[in-house]
Amino acid sequence: MSAYAYSVLAITGINVMLAVSLNMITGFCGQFSLGHAAFYGAGAYAAAFFAAAGSSVPVSLLAGVMVAGALGVIVGFASLRLRHDFLAVTTIGISFLFVGFVRKQPWLGAEMGISRIPSSGLGTQGNALLILACALATIAFSIYVNRSWMGFGFRAVGDDEDTARSIGISVSNYKLVAFTLGTAIAGLAGGLYAYFTQFIVPDSFGFLVSVMLMAMVVIGGTGSTLGVVAAAIILTLLPEIFRFINEYRLLIFGGLLILVMRFAPEGLAGLGRVAVGRAWTR
Amino acid sequence: MAYYIDLAFNGLVFGCMYALMAVGLTLVYGLLRILHIAHAAVYAFGAYITVIVANATGSIAIGILAAIAACTLLGMAIYRLLYEPLLDYPPYVAMIASIGLLVVMEDGFRIAFGEQGLTFARNPYPTQLHDIAGLTVNTVQIAIIALSTICLVLLALFTTRTRIGIGWRATVSDPRIATSFGVDAIKVRYLNFAIGSALAALGGALIALLNNFVEPTMGFVVSYKALAIIVLGGLGSLQGTLIASLALGLTESYGTIFVGRFLDRDAIAFLFLIAVLLIRPQGLAGARTA
Amino acid sequence: MRTKLVCSRLGTLAACLLLIAATSPASAQIKLGFQAPLTGPAATDGKSAKIAADMAVEKINAAGVLGQKIELITYDDQAKTEEAVFTANKLAGQDGVKFAVSGSYSASGRAAAPIFQQAGVPFISAYGVHPDITRAGNDVFRGVHLGPPQGRAAAKFIGDNLGLKRVSIVTMDNDYGQATLEGFKSAVDQFGIKVLGEYSYSLKDRQFGSIVASVKRDNPDVVYVTGYFFTAAPLVTQLRSAGIQAPIVGSQAFDAQKLIEIAGSAVEGVYIVGGLNRDRDMPELKEYLAQFQKRAGYAGENVGATVYSAVRLMADAITRAGTPDPAKARDALAATKNFPHLAGELVSFNPLREINMPMNVNVVKDGQFRHYAWIDDLKLLAPPTE
Repeated sequence: MSAYAYSVLAITGINVMLAVSLNMITGFCGQFSLGHAAFYGAGAYAAAFFAAAGSSVPVSLLAGVMVAGALGVIVGFASLRLRHDFLAVTTIGISFLFVGFVRKQPWLGAEMGISRIPSSGLGTQGNALLILACALATIAFSIYVNRSWMGFGFRAVGDDEDTARSIGISVSNYKLVAFTLGTAIAGLAGGLYAYFTQFIVPDSFGFLVSVMLMAMVVIGGTGSTLGVVAAAIILTLLPEIFRFINEYRLLIFGGLLILVMRFAPEGLAGLGRVAVGRAWTR
Repeated sequence: MAYYIDLAFNGLVFGCMYALMAVGLTLVYGLLRILHIAHAAVYAFGAYITVIVANATGSIAIGILAAIAACTLLGMAIYRLLYEPLLDYPPYVAMIASIGLLVVMEDGFRIAFGEQGLTFARNPYPTQLHDIAGLTVNTVQIAIIALSTICLVLLALFTTRTRIGIGWRATVSDPRIATSFGVDAIKVRYLNFAIGSALAALGGALIALLNNFVEPTMGFVVSYKALAIIVLGGLGSLQGTLIASLALGLTESYGTIFVGRFLDRDAIAFLFLIAVLLIRPQGLAGARTA
Repeated sequence: MRTKLVCSRLGTLAACLLLIAATSPASAQIKLGFQAPLTGPAATDGKSAKIAADMAVEKINAAGVLGQKIELITYDDQAKTEEAVFTANKLAGQDGVKFAVSGSYSASGRAAAPIFQQAGVPFISAYGVHPDITRAGNDVFRGVHLGPPQGRAAAKFIGDNLGLKRVSIVTMDNDYGQATLEGFKSAVDQFGIKVLGEYSYSLKDRQFGSIVASVKRDNPDVVYVTGYFFTAAPLVTQLRSAGIQAPIVGSQAFDAQKLIEIAGSAVEGVYIVGGLNRDRDMPELKEYLAQFQKRAGYAGENVGATVYSAVRLMADAITRAGTPDPAKARDALAATKNFPHLAGELVSFNPLREINMPMNVNVVKDGQFRHYAWIDDLKLLAPPTE
């Protein structure tokens, strides 16, 4: 496999991790987060910072996870006081705040970002495979959580907070856990990304990235891990396969969002269920 | 001292611009609980139409009127084609579709009119200077403050003094009771989008005049700010939106000078938003309904 | 059993064909990889870059390079890091280019440089100014002045040529703006300049009320601004609208016809340090400007000119090396002396493969960019060596 193929594999894996982790917050627990790129970025910057300072790969990655997770807990607390639309807009704000803050900090490289991040020592192939392994682990974890009691709790909170509270589910705790888990995974993805490109800039973690991640979740089918994975893969590979449509890339992306929402709001997962349903009754 | 007044004046101008944009958003949210993010595309569309028609006809006034007309139709079309079919789904579906529309339209502007944007063939207004109480202001800035004040006053009168306006407010408060009193809820919705979009068109036209420049991505930045404003204003409340618009305009104006070293402008706006929400989760003027 | 035999025969045949194809002499084309932001926020410059690159290749192929023609393979990197990684890998790997030019912005050049370096592909960043680009290795060259020399040149211009000492600075807050500002500030003492105030803005801003008010309060002798046309035009207009009459000195990225179109009379008399000298008495430049205007529909500027020259330079190096072997061509590139770059005489490359070249200063007169002065203190302009 060429270096190009490995780079595509790596970015796809990272997008899968990000989309699946966002799905845990938004899909499972119903907390609409348009700021996921900020946690991704926090993880990337933390890992890059530690790596550039000489830490080993596991330590840097762990730093990424912890910083992102800590940020996630803080935002999680905010989500306790705010409902739906307010939360959506606040998370948009988080996205902007992160980029706006980072690009002014000289110790974080300001506009130039952090470059010359030391190699992880694994080489392009090794990095890509590590990312792949983490992506698969994330998917497995997500499916496991969905099937567990925690997943039940998440869904209860996501469906109807007040009722959930009335049957004794600690809504606050579940929201916080959802945010922490989702953002920690995003932080890991960020750290892996930093090692992969060895060069990060603030613009890679802006609001449009958050929108794209949300699009993956929604097109995949909010709540469905596999649907979201499929959407993440498709949305990452499509622009690469059809490079000639690059001129109209945004047009197609936006159009896709409109069409999916208009005609298949359940996303790919919904279409999948319909298809399977038809197959069963045949 | 003149410096601080200067900054305040700038904040006022920003605030009026934001108000023109945000009112439309708040109207839609109040009625349908949808975050009409594509509103920014309507605004940008208004700006483009102003420039194109003004350059074609030689009259900026005609350009502005054309923009208002076009955007009113566009706004109503967006409701009919995009939102109406989605009203039964959770609100985030409409919001995502709205984001999709914004992206499509902005890219459409780029493809149709070029990435470099358009300028007026003849626009003397931004450099027409006037000395008012020691401040140097230009015609467009005065127009922004004057026109937005007039429009918002008219809007207030409309909703409180006319039958249609009162019927409209009733529908926003409680659609079913309003309908039982004979108010046509559907017409109210169209009216909602029409008014909001017309205001956005005016905003777009004024910004086009102020900058002498329209570009494909001009809607994006304003859209986020407008969202922050309506949340700050307590989603659905007109007065709240107006207060929030002015507050944000002033905060940005002073904030970029004093905090600009640590945060960029958009971040300042959102920091303000988050700070307020932490203290008052229901926004500045409180939510209209729980 | 028979099927197995047929299959193995077919397989061998296929393998032979592949082997032949792989070892056949390279076609009479030298592959030049090219990255530009054809879509996305930098699409304007990407379009200029593409047109300029195509023009350069046509010019080169009219005479040929060592009997071969240049084949330009272009990819859109959207001026984004990830995309640049993809496209660089594609060019170096799948497409097997032997040489590459970046017609894109800093971040993408920075991401692509190590990939080309590792593949041993000589790479010229036409106008990307991130300092780390050339630090990626011996194969990476830059065809434009870095931010800091531009800033230093501006300081000299303001202090010496204009003889003004009290400056307010308004700078864009991206890496280019920051780097240029650092260069400027490092030279203020040398030219007796006093900085009254320093303000920065985001590339998304179009309204600069607060900054304008602050500059007004400073009441400087001259205002130094870094920015691109879409921020410079509104900013200069607003400065003038506020009654600020002081001369304005702008940075290289001001140099676009759109600036004049948008800002109109407000931009008359503005100086631009690092702008393209369109008045140069150089036949190739005149030819380039005429053709570019025809093809693009707008006047040529720095981006196009630097890309055109980068491609021409690469072909020139190959010719001088006498062989399309990348390593030899790289050495020829490093040994370049007095190359006729469209923007000026490219005197030489320094050990870090940065250019030693004089800088032009334009002034906007009667709605046109006119040459005003040369800053040719090469010592002042000297880029870093590591």
